Formats: sequence, C-alpha cells, structure tokens
Amino acid sequence: MRLVIARCSVDYIGRLTAHLPSATRLLMVKADGSVSIHADDRAYKPLNWMSPPCRVEEAPGVWRVVNKAGEELRITLEEVLHDSSHELGIDPGLQKDGVEAHLQELLAAQPTVLGDGFTLVRREFPTAIGPVDLLCRDADNATVAVEVKRRGEIDGVEQLTRYLELLGRDPLLAPVRGIFAAQEIKPQARVLAEDRGIKCVVLDYNAMRGAKSDDLTLF
Amino acid sequence: MKFRVERDALADAVAWTAKSLPSRPSVPVLAGVMLRVSDGRLQVSGFDYEVSSQVGVDVQADADGAALVSGRLLAEITKSLRALPVELAAVGSHVELTCGSARFTLPTMPVEDYPTLPDMPATAGTVEAGPFAAAVAQVALAAGRDDTLPVLTGVRLELEGKTLTMLATDRYRLAIRELEWRPEGGEVSAAALVPARTLNDTAKALGPLGGSVTVALSRGGVGEGMIGFSAGARRTTSRLLDGEFPKVRALLPDTHNAQARVPVSALAEVVKRVALVAERATPVRLSFGEDGLVVEAGGTEDARASEAMDCEYTGEPMTIAFNHQYLLDGLAALDGPVAVLSFTEPKKPAIIAPAGEDGQITSSYRYLIMPVRIGG
Repeated sequence: MRLVIARCSVDYIGRLTAHLPSATRLLMVKADGSVSIHADDRAYKPLNWMSPPCRVEEAPGVWRVVNKAGEELRITLEEVLHDSSHELGIDPGLQKDGVEAHLQELLAAQPTVLGDGFTLVRREFPTAIGPVDLLCRDADNATVAVEVKRRGEIDGVEQLTRYLELLGRDPLLAPVRGIFAAQEIKPQARVLAEDRGIKCVVLDYNAMRGAKSDDLTLF
Repeated sequence: MKFRVERDALADAVAWTAKSLPSRPSVPVLAGVMLRVSDGRLQVSGFDYEVSSQVGVDVQADADGAALVSGRLLAEITKSLRALPVELAAVGSHVELTCGSARFTLPTMPVEDYPTLPDMPATAGTVEAGPFAAAVAQVALAAGRDDTLPVLTGVRLELEGKTLTMLATDRYRLAIRELEWRPEGGEVSAAALVPARTLNDTAKALGPLGGSVTVALSRGGVGEGMIGFSAGARRTTSRLLDGEFPKVRALLPDTHNAQARVPVSALAEVVKRVALVAERATPVRLSFGEDGLVVEAGGTEDARASEAMDCEYTGEPMTIAFNHQYLLDGLAALDGPVAVLSFTEPKKPAIIAPAGEDGQITSSYRYLIMPVRIGG
C-alpha cells in the first residue's frame, strides 16, 4: 500500500472525460495495482479511481494509469507532501458471522439457555458431513444436536435435519433431538423446524454476553 | 352433506374457528375448517396442534356428512354475504355455497387427513363472560412480545379458592387483576400460563356473548398441559406455555411516598399531545407539585412540548419519566374515571390504579410501570 499526499490535478480520458482541478489529495496505490484518489471526506468512495488490472507509468510530475481498454487516468503532481509504502500482507476478510461464532461460544458456556438441565458434550461435534455446532445432553441425558445461527432461515433447518439424520444412525447417540437456536427465526424456518420436530429457541445475544441494557426494568 | 343456515350464525361460527388457524400451515389441511353435520347440528372446528376451536350451530340439515374447506376463504365469504339464508352442499370434491343469487364453489380437502381435536380438560369452574373479557384485555396488554423470553409472552392465571388472578409482565410493566369466579367442587388451587394472544382472542370473542365462561384445566391425566374455555356452543383449547413465571407479586410496593389523582381521559389526552414530539424511545416527564402536573417531552436540541394540568397531589414535588406508550396503555386499561398514581421514588416503579370520581380506588386492577432514567 503506497500512500501519497500531493497537490495534483487529475484527468480521466476514456468513455467519459472528467477533470479534477488542482487541490491537495490522497493517492492510494494498492498491491493489486489499483489507484484511487481521495479527498478529505466520505468514508470509502474515491473522487476518481482505476480498477485493476492496470499499470502505472511514473514520470517526473506526471503519473499515467492505463488499463487494458486504453482508458487513462492522468495525475499531474504539483507538489508531493508525503510518500510512504507499507506492507499490509493478506487481509483475513470481513467476518460477517463473528456474532454467530460468539453465540456458539456463549451457548457452550451456558447450555441451560437451551433448556433446564442441559449439559454440553462438545462444540463442533464431528459428523461425516461436517461438524454440528453443539452437541448437548438434556436433563434426561438424551442427545440434542444444536444448530446456532444469527438469523434462522430455511437452509439452517435443512442443515440441522441432515445432521440429525446422520447422528440418529449412531446407536450410542440415538435418539437425537434437534434444537435450532438463533437470534431471530424467520416464520418459514420456524414452521419447517417445528414440523420436523425441531425445537426453536430465540437467543438474546445481549443477555447471554452479559451486556445489560441501560433501561430500568422491574426485574 | 347439505344444510341451510342463517348467514349471521354461519359467519360467527366460521369467524370463531378461523381466528386460530395458522397463517403458514405445515400441513395444508390445518388451514381448513371442518364442517360436520349430524342430527340437525353443524359443528365447525379449527385446529393447529396448539389451539383448537369448535362451535355448534343448529341448521336445517338435508344430508349429514363432513367437508374440509379453506378457513380463511370461508370466513371472508361468509362475512361479506348478504343477510339471507345460506345453503351449503358438498358436491363431489367441492362445496357449493349459495346465498341469494350469489354462488361460490370451493375445493375441499380430504376429511380423513384432518387431526382429531383434543378433548376438553376437566372443568375447573366458571366466570362471568363480560368481566372476564374486560379483565383479560386489561392484563394481556402487559404481556411481552419478545420470543427470547417465552415465559413472558403468557398471562398467568391463578385459581385460588373463589379468586381468579391474572398477571402479565414484559419487565417494563406489570398488570394484575383479581376476579371473582365460581370454582367447581369447592377448593381449587391451580395456576396456568396461557399464551397471551390466544387468551385475548378467546376473551374478545366470548365477552360480548354474555353468560358465563367455563374454564377447564388439566390436572394430571387427560389433556395435560392444556387449558380450555367454553361458553354456550363455543369451546376452545390451548396448549399452555412451559416455564416458571417470575415471582412478580413482590414487585408491588406496599407503601408510597407520594400519590396523585388525575382524570384518566384528561391525562391521556395531554400525554398523547405532548408525546407527539417524543420519538419512539424517548420518555415523557411528569412533574408533580403543589400547582399541579406538568407533562413535558423532548430534549434541548429536538422539538419540545409541555402542558400543565390540574392534579390532586400529596407528597414532595417529584419529576418522573415514563415511556409514553406504556403510560398510555396503562391509562387506557383503567376501568374508572380517575387514575391514582402512587410513587415511592423517581427510579422505582409507580402503580396506577383506577378510582371513581370521589378518588376511591374501585377495582383490583393494578398497572405497575417502571420509570425511565432521566438524562444526566
């Protein structure tokens, strides 16, 4: 990642032409070759940019960024105020399901949320088609497979159904009940789950992680 | 199956059973209502494995038999028919409905696939329909709607001797009402947690009929975990909710430091007006003092409103804030012209009770409401 702060003007020559008059801006040259020009506002949208694949031709006072289609971003540098490069390495990516993993962890620590007398057998219990989120025992020591989701939808129920079928073949575990636990369960998913004898449990994430809301309550 | 019946009788019967039908049935037959004619009587039933409803209607029967048709459709059709006799006949795999010159043909579903309705549990006692419906409406509004706490989505019925007590809470408010009832066979001591929506729908439908409502509760044996209500030719059963209802009686403070008496309708109007500037989660502030009551809402940056009103107040001047919707719900549920508000502290729950014009508390209804923290 190369960061350049410079007073510059930018011309885009391609299907449409655009011109940015001279001003101080941030130029970002990323490892994939992309170039973007930022003003000092907005979170993510550059004023102008060139997506990869493209190449940068640097000459004194002028950068030419050209892509395969021959479109060109011409940056005329008047004064360079800052120029630095940093090695960022490979990004792990945005974890949208961070909450899901956390829910699973919290449930493992407090299985009684699922029902009185529940105990944890293990997290990520392996089966031939992949691990079940949680395997528990209920108060009567019967096996319960739990699928944890942030948003409970039909595909989650299908997934749990497949696990239940497989686990049910294991004479040491059978009979295996299912619990579909989510922060929010879609009505269709609830109907399907209950029709298959799977219990639905709506989880209160804030309560489970001990984040108390600021509201005064009676108890 | 073939019979003739008055439109109103049929429409009422179908509406009663169709109210509990599931909107997303897992099995198509559950979206149906069962029409069964025998001995000059039509039985209309609906069932979704949680709630069952059944009603009998006298009809002019030409042929006995049964048919299962879409409940929602039949309810809408019968509701919109003209006030003329209705003739219904099963013809092959269809039901033909004729009323005046209107004619409907509805497909039927296989009768044999329909589940058997549960039997009514044993009778526990009876209660007057009107007061029962009014009490349910007063209490059920405080029940929670949040599925993460299923226990709070129910109304707790406590049957103790000659007193039937109903309780509901969503942690922000608590409604409680006692009612006199007639237990069957002397001593009764039982409790049940009934889904609030089912109880409310049932009471709303049974209340206007007058007479008395029979409460049936399983005590071991037949219909474990079920409650039933019946009045006249109507009956309904519902599965009870599992779980331990919190011990909420202890939350009702037995003493107070300050008390205000305000006309219910005037206070409700003022709160509604002032709350126009309050967004959903922002509270209204009530300042009680010697000069009366000032209701305010809004912050320093946002829109603001305030209105003063007369109020009979005893105690130190106090400012207390409430969620305006919860406050209005409580006021709307009061069965008296005057509201008696009792306070201990601005951060402790307040009790609202109904009173007559003379300021004397008139019924056993209590609405406990938790204040909202005032900023700063």
